[in-house]
Amino acid sequence: MAAIDPPLPVANSPRRIQRLTSLRRFATEFFRSPQTAIGTLIVIFFLLLAIFGPAFAPYKANDQNHPVSHQPSAEYPMGTDYLGRDVYSRVILGARSILVTAGAGTLIAVVLGTFLGLAVGYQGGLVDEIIGRFIDAFLALPALLIALVILGVLRNLNPPPGSWQAVLSDRSVLVVIAIVYIPLVARVVRSSTLDVKTREFIWAAQIRGETWLYILFREILPSVAPALVVEASLRFSYAIFLVASLGFLGVGARPPSPDWGLMVNENRGGIYALSPWALNYPALAIAVLVVGVNIMSDGIKRIVQRG
Amino acid sequence: MTSQAALLRIENLSVSYQFGNRWMEAVHDFRLAIQSGQVYGLVGESGSGKSTVASAVMRYVPHNGRIERGSVVNFQGVNLVEKSLREMQQIWAHDLTLVPQNPGAALNPSIRIGEQLAELMRLQRRLPESVVQERVLESLHRVNLPDPRAILTRYPHQLSGGQQQRVMIAMALIPSPQMLILDEPTTNLDVTTEATILDLIETLIRSEGTGALYITHNLGVVAQLCDRAAVMYAGEILEDAEINDLFAGPLHPYTIGLLNSIPRAGQTKRERPLATIPGKPPLLQERPNACVFSDRCPLVIDICRTEKPPLESSGENRLVRCHRWREIEAGNVDAVYPTEIESDVAELAHREILLQAHNLSKTFNSQSTLFNVLGGKVSPPTHAVEDVTLSILKGRTYGLVGESGSGKTTLARMIIGLTEPTSGEIALMGIDLQGDVRQRSREVLAQLQMIFQNPQMSLNPYLTVGEAIRRPLIKLAQLTYTQAEAEARRLLKAVNLREEYVDRYPSELSGGEKQRVAIARAFASNPALIVCDEPVSALDVSVQSAVLNLLVQLQEERNAAYLFISHDLAVVGYLADYVAVMYLGELFEVGYARDLFSPPLHPYTEALISAIPVPDPAIRTDRIHLSGEIPSPAHKPTGCAFHTRCPHKLGQICEVESPPWQHHGNEHHIRCHRTPEELAQIQAYLLNKAKA
Repeated sequence: MAAIDPPLPVANSPRRIQRLTSLRRFATEFFRSPQTAIGTLIVIFFLLLAIFGPAFAPYKANDQNHPVSHQPSAEYPMGTDYLGRDVYSRVILGARSILVTAGAGTLIAVVLGTFLGLAVGYQGGLVDEIIGRFIDAFLALPALLIALVILGVLRNLNPPPGSWQAVLSDRSVLVVIAIVYIPLVARVVRSSTLDVKTREFIWAAQIRGETWLYILFREILPSVAPALVVEASLRFSYAIFLVASLGFLGVGARPPSPDWGLMVNENRGGIYALSPWALNYPALAIAVLVVGVNIMSDGIKRIVQRG
Repeated sequence: MTSQAALLRIENLSVSYQFGNRWMEAVHDFRLAIQSGQVYGLVGESGSGKSTVASAVMRYVPHNGRIERGSVVNFQGVNLVEKSLREMQQIWAHDLTLVPQNPGAALNPSIRIGEQLAELMRLQRRLPESVVQERVLESLHRVNLPDPRAILTRYPHQLSGGQQQRVMIAMALIPSPQMLILDEPTTNLDVTTEATILDLIETLIRSEGTGALYITHNLGVVAQLCDRAAVMYAGEILEDAEINDLFAGPLHPYTIGLLNSIPRAGQTKRERPLATIPGKPPLLQERPNACVFSDRCPLVIDICRTEKPPLESSGENRLVRCHRWREIEAGNVDAVYPTEIESDVAELAHREILLQAHNLSKTFNSQSTLFNVLGGKVSPPTHAVEDVTLSILKGRTYGLVGESGSGKTTLARMIIGLTEPTSGEIALMGIDLQGDVRQRSREVLAQLQMIFQNPQMSLNPYLTVGEAIRRPLIKLAQLTYTQAEAEARRLLKAVNLREEYVDRYPSELSGGEKQRVAIARAFASNPALIVCDEPVSALDVSVQSAVLNLLVQLQEERNAAYLFISHDLAVVGYLADYVAVMYLGELFEVGYARDLFSPPLHPYTEALISAIPVPDPAIRTDRIHLSGEIPSPAHKPTGCAFHTRCPHKLGQICEVESPPWQHHGNEHHIRCHRTPEELAQIQAYLLNKAKA
C-alpha cells in the first residue's frame, strides 16, 4: 500500500495496555459493587481458615477433656458440645474439609464436564442426541436424591483397606459431587460449543487437518471459557451446600470428624436445649460461606457476561 | 440549495456518543434538504455515521448518544430535536416512517403478519374491524406479495428475507407518510431480490409523491434510484450533488476513488484494474481536526492536514468539502489512485488442469433427530448440488456465481473436503481425492486452502494473528517455529500489513485487515488451489477493491488457482477467467468471463446481470424481473430447474425435460432448451428495443 502508516510510539504497546487495563478494569468492575467485595472477602477469610486453621484452633477437634455443654466464655468462645468438645476449634478445623471436598469435587466435575461437553457438542449428530438425552434425564432428578443413591452404593462396597475402592469410599462425598455436577457443566459447555463450532475458523482448522483434540482445546475452549467460569463458580457454591446437606443427613462425613453439617445434625433434637451454641455456630458458618460464595459468583457472572 | 418548503431540512446536525467518560462526535455539521417527491441518497461506508443521521432524524439515538445543541432537524416546519417522545410518537404514526436494514429483527417473531399490520392500522384511525382487515390485505397487495391472504396468517420466520422486507415496506407505507427513511433496505438480499425491491420502492415513492432518504453503501443503487445524493465519510458530508453531476463530474477525491473502485459488469482485471483507496477510515477517537480524508487522499497538501475544509457551494445546487475542489473542477489535478496490480496479467493461455470434479452431487437427508429416527419420519431428500462437472486450471481463477441457496457453498465444501459428496469424483492433478478432509494426506491438505466470507468469524478471537498464520506453516509446511515466525512476517508483508501485526488479536483489526490475515493464512502452506467463498461481500466498498487486487497480485506471484464464489456477477466477472453460473445446485452456463457478458445468453445469466445496479445514472436499465423467489432446493421444479422464473420459457418441454448442454464456441456452454443462436437473437432484439 502506498500510504505509510504513522509510526506507533512503541511496538505492540496498544495490546499490552489494552490487556493491562482490561485486567485492571476487571478488578475495578469486580469490586465496584460492595456486595461483591464483601462476598470475596468472606471467601478469602474461609480459605485462610482452611489453610492456617490448625494454627489458630486452641484445641484438637476431638479433644473431650473439657466441661460438657459449657456455654460460650473467654476460654471457649463458642462453648462446648455435649461431649465436651470445643465448638470454636471444631468450626475452624471444619473449614478445610468442606472447602477441599466441595472445591475438589467441583474441579473434577468442571474438568470432566468440559471434556464431555466439548466432545459431545463438537461431534454432534446421534452421539449428541443420545448423550444429550441422558444428561437431560439425569438433570430431571434432584441432586440430593442422586447423591444419596450413589453414597449408598459406595458405602456398601466394604472394600479391603488400601485398594482403590477404599480410596473412593473414603472420598465418597467428593466423588458424588463430581458425578452430580458433570452433566450440569457438560450441558453449559455443550451449548456454547454448538455455537462456536459453526464459526469459520473451525472450518479452517479442519481444512488444516487438525486433530480432534487440538480443535476442542485450542480452538473451541477459549471461546467457551467465559461461560465455563460462571458455571464453575456457581457449581462451587452449590457444592458447599451439598456437602453440608449430606453431612447433616448423616451420609457424608463420619463422626467424629468436625464436619459442619454433621455438627448441626449431632446437636439437634433433645440435646439442643442443653447446648444451642453447638448447633448455631456451625450453622452460621455454613450460611455465611454459602452466601459469600454466591455473592462472589454473581459478581463474576456480571462481569463475564457484560464483557 | 433551495430551502423553500423543503420537507425535511437538516442543519448543523451533530451527534455524539459517550465512551467511558469521553464524548465523541460521530456526525459533524451535517446538512441536507429533501423536497417532497425527492429521493435523496446518503452514501457512506460502515462507521461513516449515515445510520446515526437516520436515528437522529427519527430520534432513535441510543442512550449513550446525544444530539448536540444547535442541531436543527426541521420536518414540515417543526424542529424534531425539541419534540418530546410522546410528540414523536404522533409523528411516527402519521408522517415519518423508517424501513430498517434487518427486517427479521424488526418484525415481532411471535405475532402473525396480519396482526402486526392491523395493529398499525388501528393506530391511525378508529375503523371498524372489517375495514381494518380489508386495508391490511390491500397494503400487502400494494407491495406485490404473492398470495397476501396466506401471508396474513404466517409468522415472520415463515417468510423469506425479500418477503419480510416487503412487509416492512407495507408497514412503513400504512400511514401514507410524508417522508420515508430507508436504512440499507436491500443490503442483506440477493441481487435479483434486491432488483425487484428497488423497483417496488421506486414505483411506490414516485406514485405517492413521498420524500425519501435512502441510506446505502452501494453507489449502484444510488445511481439507479436517487435524484440527489450526499457522500458521507467519517461523520461529515464530503460532497452533495444532483445525481447526474455526482456521477459525471465528481469533485471530491473520495467520491472519485469510490467510483473507480467498484467493478462494473463486464469489467475484467485484464482490461482495467480497479483503483484502490489505501488505508482505512479513521476511528471515532482518531478523527483529525482537519480534513477527515487527508490520510488516504492522493491529492493531499499541507493545508489538508491542519485545517478542516468548509462545506462550500461549488456551483448551483452543489456542495463539496475539499481544499482543492477548484483545481479538480478545472481539471488541473487528477485524483489518481494506485491500482495495486503491478505485473502484467498473463494472457489466457491454455494451462494444465489442476482440479477436476466429475458429476459431483450432494443430497442432504432431512435432520436425523432421534425423534425422526424412532418415529420413522422421512422427509424427501434435498438435492443441494446435482451433477456438477468442472475443471480448474493451474494458476487461473474459476468463478462460480449464483444466488443464495444455489448450492455454491456446498460445492466449495465438497471440494475442500468438509462435506462428503453423495456421488461423483474429485481429482487433484489426476489423483483421486478422498471425500473427507480427515482422510486426506498432509500433502493434499497443503494444496487446498480456503478463504471465508465473514472475516469476523474466520479468525479465532483468542489467537493472535501470528499464531493463526504460524499454525499452517508448522502443521502443513512443516517449518520449525523460528522459520514459521519469519515466514509469517513475510506473509503479512505480502498482504500489505505491517509485521507488528503478528502480536495483535483479531479484535484489534478492521474487517479488511482481518480478511488480509485470512488470505495470508490461506497462502501459508503455498497451496495450488484456494477456494474463496464470497471473500469481499462483507467488506466496505473502499476496502473491497484493495482485497480483490491483492488476490490478483498474489495469484500472479504464487501461481495459485482460485475457485472464486460470489453472488455478485460484476465481482466474479472482474476476477475470474472462467465462470460458471449455478442455480438450484446445477450449472446452467459456463464460459470465459468476457464471453458471458457480451451479451448474456442464458436467461438466468441475463437476469443476474440486469439485476446488478449499474453505478451510472445515465444507464437506467429496465431490469428483468425474475418472478417470485428462488424455490427451495427441497422442492426443486421438474424439468429445467429455472422454468418457474424464466422470462424466455419455451413451453411445456421446459417443465418436463432437463435441458441439454449446448456448445457455443470457445468453451462456452449453455444449458437451455432454446439454441444459443435463438438466445442471441433474443438479446439482440432486446438491445435494439432498449436503444429505440
